[in-house]
Amino acid sequence: MNISTKKESTALVVTVSGRMDAVTAPEFEKSISDFITQGEKAFVVNLSGLEYISSAGLRSILACAKRLKEQSGKLIFSGLQGHVKEVFSISGFNGIFKIYESDAEGLKGV
Amino acid sequence: MIKVRNLSKRFGDSEVLRDVNIDINKGECIAIIGPSGAGKSVFLYCLNALQPHNGGNILINGTDIADKKTDINKVREKMGMVYQNFNLFSHLNVLENIILALVNVKKMPRAAAIEKADKLLEMVSLIDKRESYPDELSGGQKQRIAIVRAIAMDPEIVLLDEPTSALDPTMVGEVLAVIRDLAKQGFTMIIVTHEMNFAREIAHRVLFMDEQGIYESGTPDEIFASPKKPRTIAFIKKLKTFNYNVKSFNFDLIAMCARLELFCDKYNIERKTVNDTNLALEEMITYILHHCYKRLQTPNIDIIVEYGDIDKKIAIEIVHNGKPVNPFENIVFMADGEGSDTEDLGIFMVKKVASDINYKNEDGLSKFRIKI
Repeated sequence: MNISTKKESTALVVTVSGRMDAVTAPEFEKSISDFITQGEKAFVVNLSGLEYISSAGLRSILACAKRLKEQSGKLIFSGLQGHVKEVFSISGFNGIFKIYESDAEGLKGV
Repeated sequence: MIKVRNLSKRFGDSEVLRDVNIDINKGECIAIIGPSGAGKSVFLYCLNALQPHNGGNILINGTDIADKKTDINKVREKMGMVYQNFNLFSHLNVLENIILALVNVKKMPRAAAIEKADKLLEMVSLIDKRESYPDELSGGQKQRIAIVRAIAMDPEIVLLDEPTSALDPTMVGEVLAVIRDLAKQGFTMIIVTHEMNFAREIAHRVLFMDEQGIYESGTPDEIFASPKKPRTIAFIKKLKTFNYNVKSFNFDLIAMCARLELFCDKYNIERKTVNDTNLALEEMITYILHHCYKRLQTPNIDIIVEYGDIDKKIAIEIVHNGKPVNPFENIVFMADGEGSDTEDLGIFMVKKVASDINYKNEDGLSKFRIKI
């Protein structure tokens, strides 16, 4: 899994690619957690390059969302494709989170 | 006509056939199918004592072929053999190949032997090749001559060992046509073949050989349309399998996924199916490790992923010896915000990507079969 970030005026755009499974999900959770510790409160997570996600990945996302909620932060997603889009749909995560087609739309939705 | 009882055959330490039992009746056409190395040809060679067996009995019309008093050449006269690689004498022309045994073994007058050979050559449409030498013939023609040579001796039984496997695909049809004719004439035939459609068409009975013996037998419909046993099913449906064993809580998920990817790439399995399979495997292994084994136990989870070349579907079989739990009985998961209880999330997702899930517990093992 690769994680890269870009600071925008309203949020930190976090681009995740590769796989988010039982092995790599903790890496994502720690990364977001570190940014929260550094003061970031709004995130647009771009998953257009994410090829695979399992329940371990979804749990990490929920854990991040829970931590952000405590600090009145926001976790928004953009660019979901194929398998990841389907997993968000079957798990009901598309009802829990705001999901946008692009980062630009996501940033507007923050 | 043929009775085989507890037949066993070993090559050194390797037991190729074990406790094989079968009765074959006069006029029956038996097709033997199965994976390479299953002992199909060895079984055929044992029947006419070209390979001596190590245990059990083979009775041909009541005569035990291994009995010291038995004249094996007399028994062999009743059994024609057709080989994969024809085994024609290259220094003899077609006619001489056919009449050799008639004249020397059956003591038939040469003129009568030639007359008989010519009739049979007419039957297989090769009369114009009677003076040709084997090297001047195509593979299909050579095999048709080999069949003529076998039946010229008026055998009661014809054994055919993969008669089309050494042929160019364009020549298979002409040989199968000749064998089809023999079947119609009521010869007792035992044919080892990889031509499944042909076996289905001509055989009265099909033997699927695997695991050192006759693994499953039945009518062509029983074997080809509704095989009962797993290895027959895998063979008939041309299943490709991927095997993995989890023996540690710290199993290498990345390595398993990489191997699964290679397997899926090899068979050009579509991306959605690959991801769904990956998901089901990861979720099931994670669940079983955490709910069916205690931390100090050594887990033993066997995984077989089957891909059907014909239906293009994947089925996952997972067998473990941990605590028997069926997680699909009571799934409680509802996505209701950041506080969602995610205990059953993985299993919930498996249920969503699967088209069918079966669980049973027998002999102390839990078995899941999940179709994607």
